[in-house]
Amino acid sequence: MSAEDDRAGHAARPVPVSPDAPEVQVAPHAEVTPDAQEPSPAPAPIGTEAPEVGAVARSATAGLPLWQRVLTSPQFLVGVVIVLFVLYGATRSPEFLTVGTWINILRNAVFILIVASFTTFVFVSGGLDLSVGSLFAVGSIGTAGLLSAGWGIVPAVLAGCAAGAAAGWLNGVLINYANIPAFITTLGMLYGARSLVVYFTGGQPISPLPDGFVKIAQAELFGVPLLILYAAAVALLAHVLLETTTFGWRVRAVGGNREAANNAGINVRRVSTVVYTLSGLSAATAGMLMAARLGSGQPSIGTGFELQVISAVIIGGTSLFGGIGSIPGSVLGSLVLSILATGLVLMRIDPVLQDFVVGLIIIVAVGLDQLRRRRMFRATGQR
Amino acid sequence: MPQRAAQSPVLELRDVSKAFGHVVALDRVHLEAYAGSVLVIVGDNGAGKTTMIKVLAGVHPVDSGVVLLDGRPVTVTSPAKAQELGIATVFQNLALVECLDVAANMYLGRPIRRGLIFADRRRMIESAADTLAALRVRVPSVRVPVGVLSGGQRQGVAIARAVQQDSRIVLMDEPTAALGYRETRQVIDIIRGLRQDGKAVILISHDLETVFEVADRIQVMRLGRVQGVRERASADRSEIIGLITGAIEPDAAAPSPAPAGAGPR
Repeated sequence: MSAEDDRAGHAARPVPVSPDAPEVQVAPHAEVTPDAQEPSPAPAPIGTEAPEVGAVARSATAGLPLWQRVLTSPQFLVGVVIVLFVLYGATRSPEFLTVGTWINILRNAVFILIVASFTTFVFVSGGLDLSVGSLFAVGSIGTAGLLSAGWGIVPAVLAGCAAGAAAGWLNGVLINYANIPAFITTLGMLYGARSLVVYFTGGQPISPLPDGFVKIAQAELFGVPLLILYAAAVALLAHVLLETTTFGWRVRAVGGNREAANNAGINVRRVSTVVYTLSGLSAATAGMLMAARLGSGQPSIGTGFELQVISAVIIGGTSLFGGIGSIPGSVLGSLVLSILATGLVLMRIDPVLQDFVVGLIIIVAVGLDQLRRRRMFRATGQR
Repeated sequence: MPQRAAQSPVLELRDVSKAFGHVVALDRVHLEAYAGSVLVIVGDNGAGKTTMIKVLAGVHPVDSGVVLLDGRPVTVTSPAKAQELGIATVFQNLALVECLDVAANMYLGRPIRRGLIFADRRRMIESAADTLAALRVRVPSVRVPVGVLSGGQRQGVAIARAVQQDSRIVLMDEPTAALGYRETRQVIDIIRGLRQDGKAVILISHDLETVFEVADRIQVMRLGRVQGVRERASADRSEIIGLITGAIEPDAAAPSPAPAGAGPR
């Protein structure tokens, strides 16, 4: 039995293993443990009903091979559909394959993508934010209003974005500390914020705006609109934040199983509040950029925008039920909406039918997500 | 073997009460856990065993009474605080996140960091695999989501996580509930290892076989009260069962100096 003790040195920390193992020792188990370099009879490993898994002592550290991950990813089908759509569109309208068209497609995806990146965080954390359309207007009107009141560009931009972050923070506090459901809180914010925007502007657009501000969104770098670069930067930042930081892992844990996350010592309320704050910040930032692009602040801007954003996130394979989701998926979802909008116009199909196609894709995408989860977690039958 | 008589308890509950609405889950209970010793809590459903573990784990705040760590009163206000104080817990519902992989679950709430904000995935994967190997917990890969694992495998991951925290005090709520014979043997080995390492182990079990095998002391709970505490060496099975069912009257005086459980409310 003393050989058992050797393995303690094998682990990162001293791990206690059966120093005085019972007489009722389990019969020698036909397993080899090359990793532990220790041939003595071993008690059955936890979690193996059948011994045939017992080839190596150390559990594998490999994930699925790339091709399997691609095939089983929720974005796979949507990706195939959109590639087919583009190929078909190209046969109908050669314009579909020009650089100008694609710059346009990307530029139209910018606003949805910036907000969708952080709506992805909200979904992954198990939440819902309906207020992003109104907070988009808050960023737009806030910045434009301060500029026309004579503020400098930098302070006006910062204040406009901060207003959205503050509203998002309020969402988070109401949801997590006052325990008001996310749906209700953010629905209230949707109406409340929009109402204030209309009230303070009297429903009138704010223009003109200073040239320096307008350039933020209308300038180009090597022929690529700056807007596209901003969106790419935001998406990259969000991706790194979600996948590589401890904060990203906490967000996933909170959305995956809030109680387990809490029991493991994660401050779930604080994590969730930060997520809503980021969501509000991203919405107002996108709204500020929209004001720069239009050269004016429109009080009605972003009405219904939240549904477009949510559609993009869902099409990208992010689950409504928390824990599962990715930023690249939301990039794809944003592009799908933009490609459909542009493509259907180029193909001279009635734009009214656009929403029919979007609706179809959402139902199919969400349906597949459900099936996937059921298959993945069939062992527990949960969710 | 543990020299308890000369020791003072590492963790102690004195006169702790906890109610949920009108339901009194814990009624002036006491508990003493010693380093290098295994305390098993037994009792019927609704006896307050799980509530007691959750109080110690920081999930439920106490209504009244004190929690003492090394003789000093502490307030365990949250699971994070409990971990800080050196209390690791295996919850009955396992407290794993199904959609995260095994490695992420092993470090849930206390990730290995790289730099200020980044999680060191590679080291977590390596070290999770090492810990599981040392404890002979077998999973297909530490990178598969916990949601695809069997009940026994999940149990193994949950226990490995608590062991890995290397805390002075380890709480386990029904650690062998979902397990077959051989797996149960293995958990018993792990518990003995923890005791050998000088940890204070508190565990809940329904299985008297297991109880008599691992316990140094056995504490019987019934309807939120402590029925009695017995040394394993001097306890006999029918007496424990009698205490659990209430056929035997609870001890008049508790072993702790506090006059706990002195009478009905």
